[in-house]
Amino acid sequence: MEFFNLIHPEIALGALPTILRGLLITLLVTLLCGIFSLTLGVLVAFGRKSKSRVLRLSLGAYVQVFRSTPFLLQLVYIYFVLPFFGIEIPPLPAGILALTLHYTAYLCEVYRGAIEAVPKGQTDAAKALGMRNRVVMVRVILPQAIRTIIPALCNYMVSLLKDTSLLSVVTVQEMMFRGQIYAAETYDYFTIYTMVFLLYFAVGFPGVKLVDYLEKRMKKGYASRSVVTTSEETLTARGEKR
Amino acid sequence: MIKIDNLCKSFGRDEVLKDIHLTIDKGQVLGIIGPSGSGKSTLLRCINNLEFPTSGTIRINGKLAYRDESGKGFSETEISATRSKVGMVFQHFNLFPHMTVLQNVYAGPKHVLGLSEKEFHDEAIAILESVGLAEKRDQFPEQLSGGQQQRVGIARALAMKPDVMLFDEVTSALDPELVGEVLGVLRKLSEAGMTMLIVTHEMGFVRQVADRVIFMDAGRIVEENNPAEFFDNPQNERTKSFLASVLSHTD
Repeated sequence: MEFFNLIHPEIALGALPTILRGLLITLLVTLLCGIFSLTLGVLVAFGRKSKSRVLRLSLGAYVQVFRSTPFLLQLVYIYFVLPFFGIEIPPLPAGILALTLHYTAYLCEVYRGAIEAVPKGQTDAAKALGMRNRVVMVRVILPQAIRTIIPALCNYMVSLLKDTSLLSVVTVQEMMFRGQIYAAETYDYFTIYTMVFLLYFAVGFPGVKLVDYLEKRMKKGYASRSVVTTSEETLTARGEKR
Repeated sequence: MIKIDNLCKSFGRDEVLKDIHLTIDKGQVLGIIGPSGSGKSTLLRCINNLEFPTSGTIRINGKLAYRDESGKGFSETEISATRSKVGMVFQHFNLFPHMTVLQNVYAGPKHVLGLSEKEFHDEAIAILESVGLAEKRDQFPEQLSGGQQQRVGIARALAMKPDVMLFDEVTSALDPELVGEVLGVLRKLSEAGMTMLIVTHEMGFVRQVADRVIFMDAGRIVEENNPAEFFDNPQNERTKSFLASVLSHTD
């Protein structure tokens, strides 16, 4: 087979240490940006509901700007343009900042959308019982919104993992960057990029499967998680409904 | 028990309630009927402040509720406390889907009064028994029929030991064969002396159970009487034509 003749094991082996170090950075950047954007997203989502008009408008503007422009542009802007304003940020922090800002803008929309998707009748019923607004949110709205939120968050985390490769543009030493350098040095683009390809797939694919699983599971009714219910009871109840 | 004066509610330019005056005594069952869009549901929602009136006052147990005479709203704490004594049951049940039947009944005592499930357990079971659903305690709402869900809705509201119960078209979303079981629970409640405001299209039920009936049209109470007089000898033209059209196709 042509394909296997093009793969050079000795070059792959030589590249492995640097590529794996790159993978480590890729994973660390994903982890850090994931944690930052997941938490900041919550703050921004609530900030956009704040009583302060200034806060609401400025957070709204931030979200719209970061959702409406390419990530690559945001990244190079932070790294290459901010220095003109006297703000010089080294490659890795600049990359982490750009990814965090970008994903926070998306994640806060995930939270907001999921909270707004819970039917208004749920709030009515909870308030009618005498629950205070905070209790309504914690006990009634969030436990339902979380079912929409979790699969969407995982989806964005996989996306984040892949987008870390764009940090190669500002010389962050993650897996893509190291692959590019090594390939250019050895001229063996085929071997190196195939290797990088397989490694991204190896970490990305379980993530994608997890998203699929979570989506399926969250679509199921609440009852499917209960151990008390026997399937027979479920069937009779469903039968009665029809 | 409840005294409503000069109550008005507008949504933008749309005047939904126009100068409503209404008094409900303790233990009384009030039937509220009228065509859709006449303001019946909005009136109920104002009584537990799910809608904020444009003007007017509501007194519950002799005290101003939700807002003072000038229209200034009370604090969240005061509003929540008043609401907890005004039970409400909804057309579409609005049960909490992530909680079992029993947890739905716990919801108020637990998250409003701060009782533990253990403290409230016996009472919750007793309430579920009174609506005939104790054996469904560990099921989730989605596993129940519409009639059963609505009975859980009633049980959930009763758990707060309300002084008054508001029923907002509680049988309108049910299949015809399931209406009876819910009305049965309402009847039992009225016999037990609960103060009730019932918005409904079930004329026969109102006639049997209500102490008084009001007919609403275009945001006003146009007729008010005891059920026998109301149904047999309606005075207002709108009431007459409404009753004629409703009763003609139920009989």
